[in-house]
Amino acid sequence: MEAKPSSTSPSTFVDQLVVPGDVILDLSSMANQTIKLGGGLRQDGDSISVMKAGTLRFTKPNKYWVESSHKRYVPSAGDNVLGVVVDTKPENFLVDIKGPALAFLPVLAFEGGTRRNIPKFEVGTLLYVRVVNANTGMNPELSCMDANGKAAEYGVLKEGYMFESSTGLSRTLLSSPPYPVLEALGKKLSFEIAVGINGRFWVNASQSSTVILVGNAILKSESLSLVQQKIYLEKLLKNIQ
Amino acid sequence: MEQRVATSLIMTLNEKKFIESALLSEIRVDGRRPFDYRTLTITFGSEDGSSEVQLGQTQVIGFVTAQLVQPYRDRPNEGSFSIYTEFSPMADPSFETGRPTDIAIELGRIIDRGLRESRAVDTESLCVISGKLVWSIRIDLHIIDNGGNLVDAANIAALAALSTFRRPECTFGGEDGQQLIIHPPDVREPLPLIIHHLPIAVTFGFIGKENTMVIDPTHYEEAVMGGSMTATLNTNGDVCAIQKAGGEGVPHSVIMQCLRIASVKAADITNKIKNSVESYNTERSLRKVKRHNPSTVVVEFGQQGCGDVAKHHMERLNLGSDESSVISHSDDVELGRKLIENDKMEKRNITAKRFGGGTATWDPYSRGVDGNALRASLASRVATPPEIHKEEPKQEKQNETLSYQQSLVHEVTKIELQTKQPKTLKDAVKPRHKRRNKLMANSSPS
Repeated sequence: MEAKPSSTSPSTFVDQLVVPGDVILDLSSMANQTIKLGGGLRQDGDSISVMKAGTLRFTKPNKYWVESSHKRYVPSAGDNVLGVVVDTKPENFLVDIKGPALAFLPVLAFEGGTRRNIPKFEVGTLLYVRVVNANTGMNPELSCMDANGKAAEYGVLKEGYMFESSTGLSRTLLSSPPYPVLEALGKKLSFEIAVGINGRFWVNASQSSTVILVGNAILKSESLSLVQQKIYLEKLLKNIQ
Repeated sequence: MEQRVATSLIMTLNEKKFIESALLSEIRVDGRRPFDYRTLTITFGSEDGSSEVQLGQTQVIGFVTAQLVQPYRDRPNEGSFSIYTEFSPMADPSFETGRPTDIAIELGRIIDRGLRESRAVDTESLCVISGKLVWSIRIDLHIIDNGGNLVDAANIAALAALSTFRRPECTFGGEDGQQLIIHPPDVREPLPLIIHHLPIAVTFGFIGKENTMVIDPTHYEEAVMGGSMTATLNTNGDVCAIQKAGGEGVPHSVIMQCLRIASVKAADITNKIKNSVESYNTERSLRKVKRHNPSTVVVEFGQQGCGDVAKHHMERLNLGSDESSVISHSDDVELGRKLIENDKMEKRNITAKRFGGGTATWDPYSRGVDGNALRASLASRVATPPEIHKEEPKQEKQNETLSYQQSLVHEVTKIELQTKQPKTLKDAVKPRHKRRNKLMANSSPS
C-alpha cells in the first residue's frame, strides 16, 4: 500500500479494482471542490479511503462510489427492487428485499391510497417497489409510487418466475447500453422482465419454457466473457428454431 | 423479533405456481426434465478418507476417521461406524448452530440405515481383538451449500469418503506375540475398508395436485413439494432402504416406477463413484512412488525406524492392560509425531537456506510443504543416530544439483532398487505376522 502515493489523481483508480484501505483522493491538494461520496468510501481527515472491495466508479461532475457484487443487498434510497410480502400488519406490509432487515411498505403508499382501499396482499406476493428511506438501524421504507405520486410501473407482478442473482448481475442487466445477452434474447423471443437492483429479476412469457430459457441464459452469462456469451447465445438460439 | 422471520426460505406465490405449471409441460426451472439428475462432481482431499461432492449447487464434504474402542457387548467381534452431520449456517440461513435440526437427524438416519441394514461395510474385518478392541469408524458430513437434495449428496460423499479411507494395519508381535503393534502409515501400507457394495440414495419429490414425480429436487422444489421419497439401492438393483416423508400419499404403482428409475440412477452414480475412486487411487500410488524418490536411505532407515517404533510399542502396550491406556498411548505417539514433524520442518528450512543457491529446478517451498516426503523420512528421524541426519541432506543435495534429465534416469533406477528392497524385507516378515495373527484369533477367548 505504501507504494501508492496518496497524491495520485483519482483517475488512476477509476474503473479499477480497489480494496479496503486504498486511499483514492487527497483532499489537501484539491481545495475549493465539492465531491459526493457513495457507498464503500469514507473520509479520513484529508483523504478519502475505500471501505469495501470492488470497482471504483466516478460520474461527472463529482460523484464517487464503489461497486461490487454480493448475494445480499444493502438498501439505499431510490433503488427499484423486487420484494416479497412476508407479513401483513395494520399499518405496513413487511417485505423481504434481501436486505439485513425486512422493509416496511406503508399500506397508504399506493397511488390514491386511502384507509378505505387498502390492497390485500397474500404472504408471498411479489412486488416491484421503490426504496424511499434507508437508514442504518431502521427498517427501510418502501413505496409503490414514483416521486410524483403516480403508480408508474410499481405494484404486484403476476405470473412468471423470480430468479435470484447477484447484485452485480442485476446491475449489469439495468446498465445502458443494454446488456448484450438481454438484447440478443429479446430479438428472438418475446418476454417481460423486471429487474430489481437487489439481486432479483422476474421473467414472464406466454410459455413457461421461454421463461426458463431466458432466466437460465441470463444467470449463466454472468460468468462468461463477452465472446463466450456470444457463442453461448448463438448455440442456444439455434436450438430453439 | 419480526426481523427473524426472514430466516426460512422465502418463496413467492409466483414461483410456487410456476414450478407446478411448468412441470405439467415436463420442464423444470433449471432446465432439466423431471427424471434428470443434476451434474455430479466428486473430488478428493489430500488425505485418505476425505471427499467433496457437488450436486448442482449443493455441496457436501465427507470425512472418515477411525479409532480403536471397546466393542459393544452383544457384538464382541464387530467394529462399529457412526455418522455425524454438521449443518453450517453458511449453507442455508435456516440452519442454526447448536442442537441438530430434524432435517439433520433425518439425513443422518437415512444414510446410516442404508449402510447398516444392507451390511455394506464389513464390520467384522474391523475387529482387532474379540471383545476387547475394534475399529470404530466415524463419518463426518459437512453441508457446505444447500441447493436441495442434501440426502443424495451427503450419501455420495459418505460412500466416496469410505471407499478411499484406509486404516492403519495392526499386527501382534513382541517376544510372546501378545503385544499389539499399530503400524504407522509410512511403515506399512494402511488397509482400505472392505465395502461389499455401494447403497446409493435417490430422492424423488412429489409436486402439485397431480403429485408429479421429479428426481433430485432443488431447494425451491423442496419448498413446494407435498412429499418426498428416498430409495436406497445398490448397483444390482437391491433395495436397501426406503424413506417416505411428507403428507402426500403415493400409490403402489408410482413407488414401483420410482424404484425402477432409481436402480438406473444408482448404477450411474455407482459408476461415477467407482471411476473417481479409481483415479484417486492411481494418483495416490503415483504419489507414493514419488515419496520414496528423494533417497534410498530414507526407505532403509524407515525399516529400522519401524523396528524401533515396534519396540516402543512393546514397552508400553500390553494386551492385558485396559484399553484406555492403549488409546492414550496412541495419542502420545501422535503428539510425538507432530513434535518430530515440527522439528523436521525447521531442519528442512535450515537445509533450504543452506542450499538456497541450488539449481532452478529445486523449489524449496514445495519441498518444505510436501507432506509425503516429510512422512516418508519421518521414521528415519524417530530413532536414528545423528550421523544419518547428516547423510540425508547430502543425498538431497546430490539430487538437486543433478540436471533434470539425469535425475530422471537416476530416479528410475532408484525406484527399481526400492521396489526390490522393501519387498524382500516385508516378505521375510509378513507371513510370520500373519500366522501369528491367525493363531491369536484362534486362541483368544471369544
